[in-house]
Amino acid sequence: MTDLLIEFLSNTGFALVDYRNIIMLLVGIIIIYLGVAKQYEPLLLVPIGFGILIGNIPIIKDFGLGIYESGSFLNYVYYGVTHDIYPPLIFLGIGALTDFSTMLARPVLMLLGAAAQIGIFTTFLGALAIGFPPNEAASIGIIGGADGPTAIFLTAMLAPRLIGPIAVAAYSYMALVPVIQPPIMRLLTTRKERLIKMEEPREVSRTEKIIFPIIGFLLCCFLAPAALPLLGMLFFGNLLKECVVVERLARTARTSLIDIVTILLGVTVGASTQADVFLTPQSIGIFALGAFSFAIATAAGVIFAKIMNLFLRKKINPLIGAAGVSAVPNSARVVQMVGQKEDPTNFLLMHAMAPNISGVIGSAIAAAILWSFMSL
Amino acid sequence: MFGLEAIIAHDGLGISVIGISIVFVSLVLLSFAVSQIHKLIELWDKKNTSYQHLKKPQQKDQKTPSVSDLAIPQDVQRASRQFKLLIEWMGEPFPLPKLLDLSEKCGLSRPHSTINELLKCELIIPDENGYFIWNTQVEEKRSST
Repeated sequence: MTDLLIEFLSNTGFALVDYRNIIMLLVGIIIIYLGVAKQYEPLLLVPIGFGILIGNIPIIKDFGLGIYESGSFLNYVYYGVTHDIYPPLIFLGIGALTDFSTMLARPVLMLLGAAAQIGIFTTFLGALAIGFPPNEAASIGIIGGADGPTAIFLTAMLAPRLIGPIAVAAYSYMALVPVIQPPIMRLLTTRKERLIKMEEPREVSRTEKIIFPIIGFLLCCFLAPAALPLLGMLFFGNLLKECVVVERLARTARTSLIDIVTILLGVTVGASTQADVFLTPQSIGIFALGAFSFAIATAAGVIFAKIMNLFLRKKINPLIGAAGVSAVPNSARVVQMVGQKEDPTNFLLMHAMAPNISGVIGSAIAAAILWSFMSL
Repeated sequence: MFGLEAIIAHDGLGISVIGISIVFVSLVLLSFAVSQIHKLIELWDKKNTSYQHLKKPQQKDQKTPSVSDLAIPQDVQRASRQFKLLIEWMGEPFPLPKLLDLSEKCGLSRPHSTINELLKCELIIPDENGYFIWNTQVEEKRSST
């Protein structure tokens, strides 16, 4: 009987735990704290944080419990991450949630979404320079797209072993947009520029809203076919929303479906960040490069908006360039917040949604391009 | 390999320059296409109107469908788009005081009267649980007219 008890005790988490598990459990708790107490992207950080707790409970190997052990519950659910099933489904929900009106009303603002993608390619170069192989460098660069599903999509294709650190870095920085972006925005703009009021966008007709997802899909996917799973679902979701006749499908896509997929994605991505995979020098490099990528993307958007102002008759507030990083709708809210600090009557949220949404399209195209180049 | 040597060895510069160029070209083309959609729709509508006009000149006096019941003041129409964004951000259904509070925080002008107008126009309607929702049907009718 004593032997049985000793054997049981030796299999408990208390006996198997090492310092790395403790560190990761603390990381999980911090992420849950950020989500709950600070309300930084709680819909993402709470599942990811709890996933980290799940993934870092010390367990006996080959017991069929771990996320990397075939046949386990977590392994089955993780299939959706490693086989790129969840990211397109999330894009379907985003499409069904998003109103493209402001972008359709002033399409020139889409260029800000393109400019912010400079961060992706600059970070790609940075990652190559510090010794990452090209496929991993491309996956790290995409963190600058500030789009969690896109980052997971590309990493699953190019560097599956880095999914954990890259996903956590991407979602953490997305959540920290209100902390990272404002100093850069203020640094690169004058008070006068921050006070610019933009004119009301024109009214967009329903026909335009219906035609846009079809044209957008055809054009983008003819140019970058590898973006098909992401952009196909994004534009399809938007068509469901705008055509009105399939309201039931649109409602499911923007509520139940996206919520279910977010839970599965968040928990499994969190659980995949086990200490032996996550606590490596590489992860530190990924987090450092991710922050760099975000900063460059924000700066590129703001600077490009200032350059556009040199040519535009109707000036745009350069703050909205920061929304090109595509963390929807967090970065647009940050633009609103920074703009209102200067002038409480300036309402920039609506205008910032245009580069914000085009940033989503831009980062999906950038991911497709990197995937195509790495597959050659 | 590290530094510039690694970048050159993996053709990093080429990939980056071509990559960002393709992203720009894609979004410029999309932007151009989008900017033309409403012009094409206007042209199409004009063509249809002229065609009908030529075909049925005798029906000139026929009463056109009235949209007065859907008419909303211009300033409220503008504000409605801002309120819609706030509502999308809050999620539906939403309590009216929360919308009012948020609109005041965002510095929207005359939030009380605008919300009142939106209620009158039935763009904001009550649900059965004491909350409110955005009425997409009225909005659709309005944009299709």
